[in-house]
Amino acid sequence: MATQNDEDFALSRRAAAGDNAAFAALVEKHERPLRAFLSRMGAAEIADDIAQEAFVKAWRAAGQYDGRARYSTWLTSIAWRCRLDELRRRPQAPPESEARPSENHGIAEVRDMLARLSENERASIVLCDGHGWTHEEAAELLGLPLGTLKSTVARAKSKCRELWNGTGNG
Amino acid sequence: MADEFDDFLAQALRPPDCGPDRIFVARVQSQIRLDEQLRAERRSMLSSLAIQVLGIAALSASVFWLLRSPEIASFAAESPAILLAALLAAFSFAVLLFSTGPSPRGPQASFSTA
Repeated sequence: MATQNDEDFALSRRAAAGDNAAFAALVEKHERPLRAFLSRMGAAEIADDIAQEAFVKAWRAAGQYDGRARYSTWLTSIAWRCRLDELRRRPQAPPESEARPSENHGIAEVRDMLARLSENERASIVLCDGHGWTHEEAAELLGLPLGTLKSTVARAKSKCRELWNGTGNG
Repeated sequence: MADEFDDFLAQALRPPDCGPDRIFVARVQSQIRLDEQLRAERRSMLSSLAIQVLGIAALSASVFWLLRSPEIASFAAESPAILLAALLAAFSFAVLLFSTGPSPRGPQASFSTA
């Protein structure tokens, strides 16, 4: 039985040969998690633009994807570089910690927690705890040694737990 | 062992579990079409530029070669105005030839079809 990644690899090979429909299938599969990750990283208003740029770059570089890593990991690493370039061009303000009136309590709480974390802490906790990435995958994306990544995740969770307890949940 | 907080965090950070956003997918596809068009235009512009440069180089080399022959050199010494007129005519013909060749479409055309 073909795994998810075998399917993605086959689609990517077809995309590299110029098959637009195959690439559209890849976009459909991966756009939600990628955009969710980018907007969690605090640049919600430009998250979609970065995701779009990442997909265009993934289309151009489709022939370079060798199927060793998961397609989502490869794609996110492209988006991460696009995001870093964008931040160099236009530095962003840190994410708001204020709850928006339309948000429910849980979403506002998470936004508040993430706003208090550093860039690497936020990325590592979103990827490892939310998106099910392995520590190895997240370490590679962020360019951190595995041990450092593990301690970054632990520190991020500990900060979030403190905030969570402080709001009367614990 | 996962406690209430771990469950809350995993739940809150999980990407949305809903179908693809067709509008976003369409935006990406249209961006890709535009990107492909612009790259094709760039390639076409570069190749036409290379052809023009080669044409000008060939024309200059042939003029230089002609001027080296003793008959043309003596004719040039006797009636430089006629030679200058002939050279100008040749260059005008070359410019006309290059300018009427197939030209790539401008970026505005790409945007209108995207």
